[in-house]
Amino acid sequence: MAATRAQQARRGGTRRRTARAGLLFVLPWLLSLLLFTAYPVLTTLYLSFTDYNIVQPPRWIGLQNYRTMFTADPAFWTSVGNSAYYALLAVPLGLAGALGLALLLNTRAPGMGVYRTLIALPVLVPPVASTIVFIAMFDPDNGLINALLQQVGLPTVGWLTDPTWAKPALILLSLWGLGASALIFLAGLQEIPQALLDAAAIDGAGPWQRFRHVTLPLLTPVILFNLVMGVISSFHIFTQALVVGGTTGKPLESTLMFMVHIYRTAFRYFAMGHAAALAVVLFLAVLVVTLVIFQSAPLWVYYEGNRGSHR
Amino acid sequence: MSLTNQGVYWRAIDRRTFLRWLGWGGETACLAACGTASTPAGKGQKVIVTFWTPGGGGDFCTALDAIARDFESHHPSIAVAATQCGTGEQEFNEVLLARIAAGNPPDATVLWTSPAALAARGALLPLDALMPQARYAPAENWPPAVLASCRFAGQTYGLPVTAGSCGMWYNREMFEHKGIPASRADFPKSWDELRRLSKEFTFWKGDTLQVAGFMPWHAVEDLPIWSALNGAQLYDAAHRQYTIDAEPNVAMMEYAVDWLNQEYKGDFAKVTRSGNWEGYEIEGRQPAFIAQRQAMFVTYSWNMGLNSFAQSPYTWDMARLPVGPGGTKTVAGYWPNWLAIPRGARHVEQAFAWLDYMSGVGVQAWFRNFPDLPANLQVRRDLLPTALVDGKGQTFAQDIMHFFRDQLDSATPMWDSPVQDFATDQLRRALEQIMYKVATPRSALAEAQKACQGALDKVLQAGS
Repeated sequence: MAATRAQQARRGGTRRRTARAGLLFVLPWLLSLLLFTAYPVLTTLYLSFTDYNIVQPPRWIGLQNYRTMFTADPAFWTSVGNSAYYALLAVPLGLAGALGLALLLNTRAPGMGVYRTLIALPVLVPPVASTIVFIAMFDPDNGLINALLQQVGLPTVGWLTDPTWAKPALILLSLWGLGASALIFLAGLQEIPQALLDAAAIDGAGPWQRFRHVTLPLLTPVILFNLVMGVISSFHIFTQALVVGGTTGKPLESTLMFMVHIYRTAFRYFAMGHAAALAVVLFLAVLVVTLVIFQSAPLWVYYEGNRGSHR
Repeated sequence: MSLTNQGVYWRAIDRRTFLRWLGWGGETACLAACGTASTPAGKGQKVIVTFWTPGGGGDFCTALDAIARDFESHHPSIAVAATQCGTGEQEFNEVLLARIAAGNPPDATVLWTSPAALAARGALLPLDALMPQARYAPAENWPPAVLASCRFAGQTYGLPVTAGSCGMWYNREMFEHKGIPASRADFPKSWDELRRLSKEFTFWKGDTLQVAGFMPWHAVEDLPIWSALNGAQLYDAAHRQYTIDAEPNVAMMEYAVDWLNQEYKGDFAKVTRSGNWEGYEIEGRQPAFIAQRQAMFVTYSWNMGLNSFAQSPYTWDMARLPVGPGGTKTVAGYWPNWLAIPRGARHVEQAFAWLDYMSGVGVQAWFRNFPDLPANLQVRRDLLPTALVDGKGQTFAQDIMHFFRDQLDSATPMWDSPVQDFATDQLRRALEQIMYKVATPRSALAEAQKACQGALDKVLQAGS
């Protein structure tokens, strides 16, 4: 009996030591999480209930920042509308474009390695630099895009100088970076067993049917991943919008995205409390949209080994 | 040392001891990092003044450093550290305010944000106690309307070291080509006259505006000037009250819309697509005035130092701004660079000596490099921008400089609101809504008024 107790005590001690050692190993990550993620998030939440301008200490004002945001901040709804418009168009367009590119990159054409590298290269270009290049391309008088439109006999538009066309121009600009999503799609495509595609072909399925009934269902987990990442990054569009429209979202606030509104509220108006409230609302909005996407996943995402989710 | 010995030695430090040492080491490192980098000067040592500027580029900062060396030769007990030229990728105000909050700000700084706005947030030191004894900085040495941009709650929080004044630039050759008298004295004195004259030049080809006479007010920074020309104001600093939607301001914007309809097809999108009608390059597009596609426009004095104006192949001249139907006298506007001492600065007296020197002496060297107009009344009025002398001759340059200095004397108060940047953005929003016709002047100005007064009240309430 005493021996058993001693054994148990030894085992308990070993477990505790192992746990302590494990904790010690994850401590750097834990500290980083607490200091650089949890603390700022909680501080943002606290500051959203205060009047704070960096220099003077925060002053508790309850829900006033949220009331101001919804009732007396003229740019709030404008930026919400702009961000929603951007997300609703840029994300599906980006997904379709990236999938199309991945399908092309998955063929056995000669020099495919070079093409894959070329498609991935734009991701390495700093957003400010690529945006400046696009501004020149969108120039109404001397830009490449209007020149091409003229060449094919189409009417030219004002692009970034025209409130109607500025957001579509930003969406076109976002396609510049779809190489990253395309590579993820490509990895997904290469995971699809060739035997399934061959079997479908033997059964008489043409290229479109093979894509529709084999490739696409097996690719849905990757689509889910790219969709979630795309939605999050589309809500967070900042650099391109700031370079194109400045802090005022010119022309006519058409490029005033939510992140730019947060930035200018914080660092141009010094209203840190109000900016924190805006950030909290953005966080909740992204959270809700992401949860909705995940909730809908069982309806359209196919996971091997999980037959219940296969539709 | 054998491996066994190493092993014995290692075992002698158990995990707990190791972690304790790690803790002490970390704590020591943290304390060292939190300590101040600079130490107070001892007896006989030079006091080092730190000085920041929001940007301006390498040449500008090199020029500031050269001025600092000159200052040091006159003040042997003070050294000015190399100018901190911007704050890299981080926004300047963000870094400045964070350093003020942390108790570690620079001793002095150039500001591109209204001192009134920063003072309302407790970020700057009042300079009133230091100004009267100074050589250049006393209040009476500044144009009152320009110094107003530095004042908040009865105190002065900055020095407007330069203030580019504005005027009406016009292309004399375009006037003469049409047989229109081109002398300054003949220039329109009222908005109605200006509008009639503008129509003489404006020319469309299809939906493209080829040549514009004068583009009615569409630049937000100039709006307080047009408002004052029409006998009103946008912000009443004395009563801390915005008056954006006052009747003369609504009338001013209705006048602009009517002008847009009559002369510019009522379509601001077509106008902006047809060219750059501002006084500066926008995204690679040269100002239409430089290409002789615009007869008249309002811009600021620093342009006279740019080669595109100073060396232009055509002749241009300056005129005072015409008066609106509700106004009684012409006024001008200004665009400053401010100097200030952040709250928590360590070497206030020495920093102020540096700013005083910069206001009266250093600003002359500044002007030679970058023709921002010195605002201090003690600075001699015969300073001339080299590029303009080279391009247009001494007499013309002297005449233009006198014009701009006179304009500064008749400036209307601007940049004096505690919520300056917020208000500028709200006014820009209103202006765009009006020009693009998504809102009427009355409703757009009323919305801007509500937002600005709300933001102002919030800041003032927090300050009290």
